[in-house]
Amino acid sequence: MIPSVAPAPHQRKNALARFSAHRLFASPGGVAGVIWLAALVAASLTAQWWLPYKTEDQDFTAVLSGPTAAHWLGTDELGRDLLSRIFAAAAGTLGTSLITVIVGVGLGTVLAMLAAAAGERVEAVISRVTEIMMSLPGTVIILAVIGAAGTNIPLIMAILGILISAGIYRVILGQAKSLQSQLYVDAAKVDGVSTLGISLRHVLPGLTNTIVVQSALIFAVGMLIQAGLAFIGFGPPIPQPSWGGMIQGASQHVYDAPWLMVPTGAVLALTVLAANAIGNALGKAPNTTASHLPSAAARRQRARAVAAVGAATTPSANPVADSDAAPANGQLSVRGLSVGVDGGPRLVTDVSFDVEQGTVLGLVGESGCGKTMTALSLLGLLPSGVAATGGQILWNGKNLAAATDREMEAIRGRDIALISQEPMRALDPMFTVGYQLTSAIRRLRKMGKADARKEARTLLEKVGIVDAERILKTYPHQISGGMAQRVAIALALSGRPRLLVADEPTTALDVTVQAEILSLLRSLVKDTGMSVVMVTHDLGVVADICDNVAVMYAGQVVESGRTANILDNPRHPYTLALLAADPHANSAADMPDRLATISGQVPQPKDWPTGCRFAARCQFAGSACAAPVPLLASGSEEGLVRCVKADELAVEGLEWLATEVPTHRVLKIVERDLA
Amino acid sequence: MALFITKRLLMALATVLVVAVLAFLLVHAMPGSPGAVSLGAGASQDAIDEVNRRLGWNDPLLVQFFRWLGDAVQGNLGVSLIDGRSVSADLANRLPVTASLAAGATVLSALLGILLGVTAAVRGGFLDQAIGGFVGLLVALPAFWIGIIFVYLFAVQSSVFPATGYVPFEASPRDWAMSLALPVITLAVGGAAFIARQTRASMLEALQQEHIRTLRATATPTWKILYIHALRYASLPIVAGIALQFIGLFGGSVIAEQLFAMPGLGQAVQNSVSTHDAPSVQGVVVIATVVVVAVNLVLELATKFLDPKLRAS
Ligand code: SF4
Repeated sequence: MIPSVAPAPHQRKNALARFSAHRLFASPGGVAGVIWLAALVAASLTAQWWLPYKTEDQDFTAVLSGPTAAHWLGTDELGRDLLSRIFAAAAGTLGTSLITVIVGVGLGTVLAMLAAAAGERVEAVISRVTEIMMSLPGTVIILAVIGAAGTNIPLIMAILGILISAGIYRVILGQAKSLQSQLYVDAAKVDGVSTLGISLRHVLPGLTNTIVVQSALIFAVGMLIQAGLAFIGFGPPIPQPSWGGMIQGASQHVYDAPWLMVPTGAVLALTVLAANAIGNALGKAPNTTASHLPSAAARRQRARAVAAVGAATTPSANPVADSDAAPANGQLSVRGLSVGVDGGPRLVTDVSFDVEQGTVLGLVGESGCGKTMTALSLLGLLPSGVAATGGQILWNGKNLAAATDREMEAIRGRDIALISQEPMRALDPMFTVGYQLTSAIRRLRKMGKADARKEARTLLEKVGIVDAERILKTYPHQISGGMAQRVAIALALSGRPRLLVADEPTTALDVTVQAEILSLLRSLVKDTGMSVVMVTHDLGVVADICDNVAVMYAGQVVESGRTANILDNPRHPYTLALLAADPHANSAADMPDRLATISGQVPQPKDWPTGCRFAARCQFAGSACAAPVPLLASGSEEGLVRCVKADELAVEGLEWLATEVPTHRVLKIVERDLA
Repeated sequence: MALFITKRLLMALATVLVVAVLAFLLVHAMPGSPGAVSLGAGASQDAIDEVNRRLGWNDPLLVQFFRWLGDAVQGNLGVSLIDGRSVSADLANRLPVTASLAAGATVLSALLGILLGVTAAVRGGFLDQAIGGFVGLLVALPAFWIGIIFVYLFAVQSSVFPATGYVPFEASPRDWAMSLALPVITLAVGGAAFIARQTRASMLEALQQEHIRTLRATATPTWKILYIHALRYASLPIVAGIALQFIGLFGGSVIAEQLFAMPGLGQAVQNSVSTHDAPSVQGVVVIATVVVVAVNLVLELATKFLDPKLRAS
C-alpha cells in the first residue's frame, strides 16, 4: 500500500494559520479579547500624549474622589489621577508579563521538541526534571529570588517563566511526539534532513496553535502573579505605578473610599479575561457532541424532536397501536425509517425490514452506509445530535422511533440488548466484571444481591467461560478481547432480551476467536429463541449465521431477502460487487484468481444523487439510473431489490468484473467499520 | 506498587535536596553579610566581622552547606539574624496557620469546583454557558482583589467575620474557624474555578466513552451513569488537578496572609525577604517544599489507587 502523502509543510502551515485566525475571529470572546488588548497596548504606548495628568501629579482638592469631570476614574489618597496611573502602568505590566511568556513557553517548547526528537532516554530525564519543577512551591521560591536579587521585575518574571515551562512541556510533549513520528517526518529523515531541521521545519509549525494558546494563558498568569507580588510590596519602586501596588493602596482605604478598588481591579481583570478569551477561542473546546449520554438540555431538545416524529408518522389518534393485526411477540418491523443529523443531512433514508422471532438478520455494507445508525436507532441510542427523523420502528406493535427516553429505558436490556465492536471499550474499566454483571441483573430482573451473583456466574458459564468465579473478580483490562466479548454478551443477556443488536461483534477479534463468538451466538439464538440484528461488513459472517440479509448502501436498503438467495443469486450490482470482492464469501473451491474491487468510495450523505446512489461506482450504470430507483420485488421469494437493471442482469447473468488486483495481494476492500 | 512508592519517595527526597541547595545558594547571594544584617546600620566593621566569623560565613560554601544540612536534618534551621529566635520554633508556630489555610481552601475549592463542573457538564445548555462565564470571571479576578471585596462586604459592611487576624485552634475552635473563613474563601475562589474547568472537561470525556452506551443499553438509570460511573471515570484527572491546586494554594497563601494579617509561613517569608534574614528565608523555602512534596506524594498515591490498572500492577 502506498502511504498517503502528507501535505507539504508550507501548505500545512498556511492552512493552520488560516484555521486559527478563523477560529479566533469566529468567537465573540476572542474578538473582544483582541480588541481590548490592542486598545490597551495602543493607549499605554501613546499615554504620554493623551493622558490628562502625569502619574505623580497631586490634586489636593480632590483626594480619594470618585469619578468626576476632571478625574474620570477618580483619584487616590494623594489626589493622583487613577486613569493616568492605570494606563501609565499598563505598558510595564504587559511588557514584563511577556517575558514570562517568552521564557516559559519558549523553554517548554524547546524541551518538548528536544525530548520528542532525542529519544526515550532524554525524554525520561527531562520529564523527571520537569516533574520536580512542578512540585515546587513556586511563590516561595520567587520570594527567595527577590530576597537575593531585589525587586528586579524582568528577572523575577523570567524565573517565573522557568518554573512555568515545566507545565508547558507537559502540555506540548504529546503533540510534539506525535508530530515527530508522523509520516512526513520519517520521509524527511530518509532524505537526510538533520534532527534540528526536522524539528524546526516539520514539528514546530504543527505546534503553532498550541503554543499560541498556551502563550495567551501564561500571559494572563504572568499578569496576575506580577500584580500579586506588587500587592505584597514587591512591585516596582514606590512612586512608580503598578496595578498590584495600586490595589494595595486602595485596600488601605476600603473603609473610607471603596470606589478606589474598582477601576484598577476592573482593568486588571479585563486584561486577564482578554488573554484567557483569546486562548480559549483558539484552544480545543471539549467536544460535547460525541457524548454517549447527552446533557439534560440536549435530552430535552431530543424529546421535542421525538414528539414531532411521533406526530408526523402516526396519523391515527393512538400512537402506539399498529393498524395491522397485533404482531407476534418479539417481532421487529422497521418501516420507512429515516435517521438524520439535527439540522444536517439524512444518514439513513426509508429503511424497512422485518425480523421474525428467533431469526438473524444481517445488515451488510461498507462503512458509511448507515448500518450502525440503523442498528442503534432500534435501542434509541443514536449519538448526540443524531435522531430518527421519520418512519416507524415497531416492536411488538409499539413505535420505538417515537418513544420517549423513559419508555426506551423500559425496553433497553429487557427487550432489546446491544453488543458492540470493541468489547474492551464497551465495559467500564473502573468496575469489576462481577459488579457490572450483578448490578445489571439486579436492575433488569429485580433480584437480590446473592441471587444476582449466582445468576452472573451462570450467565458467564452459559457464554462459555470456564472459570467464571475468577473472571467475576477481574477488571476488564485484565482479560483478553475474546473473553471481554463473552462478558459483554453475558451482560447483554442479563435482562433476557428477545432481540439482540450486534454491531460488528467479531470485527475487532482474532480469526479463531471470531469463529467461537459466532458459534456462541448461533447456539444462543437456538437456545433462547431470541432474534438478532447483526451489523457486519463481512459476508462470511452473513453466510455463517444470518437467516435474512438487508444490503445497505448510502443510507438505503438496496437488496434484501433470504441469505441463501442473496448469496447464490444476487440481483443488485452492489451485492454482486461485495461478493466478488470478499474472499470469505467465496468457497475455497471456486475462489477466483483475481478478486474484484469496487472502485471509489461510498458517497458522503451530502453528495447523494437523486438517482441511484451507487451509480458513480456501478459497472452497469446507464441513463435510466439517474432517476430515483424504487425498491421492488426481485422475483425470488420475498426478495427486494433497488436497481433498474436488476431483471436484465438476472436474465443475462452478468458478473462484476475483476480488476487487476491479484487475490494474494488484496487488502480488505471492505473496510472495517470503525464508526 | 511497593516499587512505585519507593521510587516516588526517592523522587520526593531528591526534590527537597535540590531545593535545599538552591535555597542555600540564593540566600548566599543576598545582599549584606549576616553580620551586617543582624547588627544593622552603623555597626563597626570589626563587630560585623566578628559575627560573621562566629557564624562561619567565611568557611568554604560546601562546608557551610553540609553544616546547615546536618543541623537541618536534626530539626535545627538556625537562628534569625534579626531577633535571634530559633527559626525552627518560629516556623513550627506558623506552619499550622498556612496549613489550615491551604487545606481549607483546597477542600472548599474541590467541593465547589466539582459541583460546578459536574453541573455544567451534566446539565448542558444555558446552565453550562452561565457556569462557564462565571468560572471565566473567577479565574480572571486576582485573589487579593476578591479578598478585599470580601473584607468590605463581610467585615466592613456587616461584621459577620473578623477582617483580620488569626485565632489558634487551641484557643477557641469557633473563633479559629471564623478567623479562617474569609482567607479560605478568598483563596478557594480561584481554585474552585480551576477545578470546575478540569471537572467539566473530564466529565465530558468520560461521557464520550463507549461503556456509557453499554450502561444505557442495560437500562442503567441516568443518575447512576452520571454520578457513579462517569464521575468515577473522571475522578483520576480531577484528583490530579486537586493535587496541583494544593501547590498553588500553598504558595498563594502568601497573599491571603498579608491581606488578612495571618501569622503564617507566607508572612514569614515576606518579612524575612524584606529584612534579608537569610536563615529564615532558607528555612521557609525548605519547609514549604517538604510540605508541598509530601502532600503531593499522598495525593499522587491516591490517584494511583483510584485507577484499577495501576492498583493491580
Ligand atoms: S440502478 Fe443503475 S447504477 Fe444503480 S445499481 Fe442498478 S444499474 Fe447500477
